[in-house]
Amino acid sequence: MSQLPPDDVTRRAFLETVARTGGQSFLFGSLFVNTALLRLPQAGTDAKARAEAEVGKGVIYGFVVDTTKCIGCGSCVRACRAENGVPDGYNRTWVEQYTFYPDGEVFVNSPNGGEDGFADPAPTRNKPTGTEAPMRGFFVPKLCNHCIDTPCIQVCPVGASFKTDEGVVLVDHERCVGCGYCVQACPFGSRYLNPETGTADKCTWCHHRVVRGLLPACVVSCPAEARIFGNVSDPQSRISRILATNRVQVLKSFLGTRPRTRYIGLDSEVI
Amino acid sequence: MRHAAHFARLVALLVIVVVGFLLVRAKMVPKDFGVKGHFRLSAIADEAAREPRHIGSDACAECHDDIGAAWRAGKHHVPQCENCHGPGLLHTKVVAEDSTRGYPDKILTAFPKAINPGTGIRECRWCHLKTFERPSALKYIVSVQQHVEQHGGTYTSASRCIDCHDPHTAEVKR
Repeated sequence: MSQLPPDDVTRRAFLETVARTGGQSFLFGSLFVNTALLRLPQAGTDAKARAEAEVGKGVIYGFVVDTTKCIGCGSCVRACRAENGVPDGYNRTWVEQYTFYPDGEVFVNSPNGGEDGFADPAPTRNKPTGTEAPMRGFFVPKLCNHCIDTPCIQVCPVGASFKTDEGVVLVDHERCVGCGYCVQACPFGSRYLNPETGTADKCTWCHHRVVRGLLPACVVSCPAEARIFGNVSDPQSRISRILATNRVQVLKSFLGTRPRTRYIGLDSEVI
Repeated sequence: MRHAAHFARLVALLVIVVVGFLLVRAKMVPKDFGVKGHFRLSAIADEAAREPRHIGSDACAECHDDIGAAWRAGKHHVPQCENCHGPGLLHTKVVAEDSTRGYPDKILTAFPKAINPGTGIRECRWCHLKTFERPSALKYIVSVQQHVEQHGGTYTSASRCIDCHDPHTAEVKR
C-alpha cells in the first residue's frame, strides 16, 4: 500500500479546513466578482426607461429619410466620402435602387453605393432577365440607424463602441482593436473595417459638424430634402414637426434594435 | 500548523498576482474610461475634433461673390457649391496659405485636387438624367444626344451641358 499523508490530519479536520478556506476564498473573491456580476443586469434593465430619461436631459438627435423625395443622385454618398475620408469601396451611407416588375419580382441595385448616380438612359428599360418593363420603383438611402438598443456596442470586447448622451453611436479609434465583431453584429451593414486605420468605422451623423452647429454633410448636400436631421427632443424643431405629421417606419423593426433613423414611405420589400 | 509555510507562500503569490493585476489595469485603462459608460469619455472630443471639410456655400460666396449672387438668384440654387465642386476646406487653406487669391488658374495648377472645376456634364447627369425610379418633379432628359437634337443642336461625343447652359443658374446661354 502506498504512503498515505501524515495521520495527524483527521477526516473531520480536513473537511473543516476545506470548507473554511473554500468559504473564505469565495467571500474574498465575491468582493471582486459578484459586484461586477450584479452590475450587469442593472446596466441592461429596461432600456426604454433609460431612453426616456435621456430625452428629459436635453438634445437627442434623430434622422428622417424621405424615400418619396430621393432622386438617387448620389450627392450624399459623394459628400460623405469627401467629408469623412471614407476609402474607396466602403460606404458610411449608400443609396439603393428598388425596381418592381409586374410579375412581382423586385430588383435591388446599388452600383458603387450610388456614388456615380444611377444613369439609366432608357426610362422604359427592360427587366434584367426578360422583356417586361418596370412597374414602379424608388430609391432608399441607407446609413447607420444609431439604434437605441445597439447590437454593435454590446459585442465590442474593448469598449471602443459607445453611445453619447445625444444618442449618437461612435467608435473610439484609439481603443478599437479591429476585431470586426461589431461589423458582423450590425444587422444593417452600417459598419466596415477601415483598411487605412485598421479600426471599425461607421456613420457618425457627422458628429464633428453637428457639434459646430452644422448639419451632416449628406443632409447639406441633398438637393431633394430627402434627409432631415435634428433634435427630436425639441417639439419645435423641423424634424419633430416632420415626425409629428408623417407616418414613419424603421428598418428591421422586428429585430428590436429601435433605430433612431426613421423612414417615410418605406415599402415592405425594403430590407 | 505544519503547512503554514505553504499557505504563506500561496497567499503571497495571490497578493502579488492581485496587486500586479491592479497595477497593470490602472496603467492600461484610460483615466476617463467608465465615467459615463463602458467607454473612454474623451473619445467624444476626439471625434468632435475633426475639421469639417464642407465649408458651405456662404463661405464660398465670400470670395466668389459674383457667382454666389448669380447662383442664389437663379433657379439652380438648390444644389450647393460643394455638390459639384467638392469640399472647399483644402481650397480655402490653399488660397490663404499661397495668397493666390483671385488667380484660380494658378490654384488649380498647383493643387489640382484642391477644388474640382467640374466636367460640365458628369455633374448634371447625376440629377437630370431620367431614371425610372426618380420622382418626376425634376427636369429630366432621357439622353444628352436626344436633348441636344430636340433643341436643334448638333450632338458630338464632346458635347457638354455647359456648352448651352450656365451651370450656376441653369439658364440657356446666348
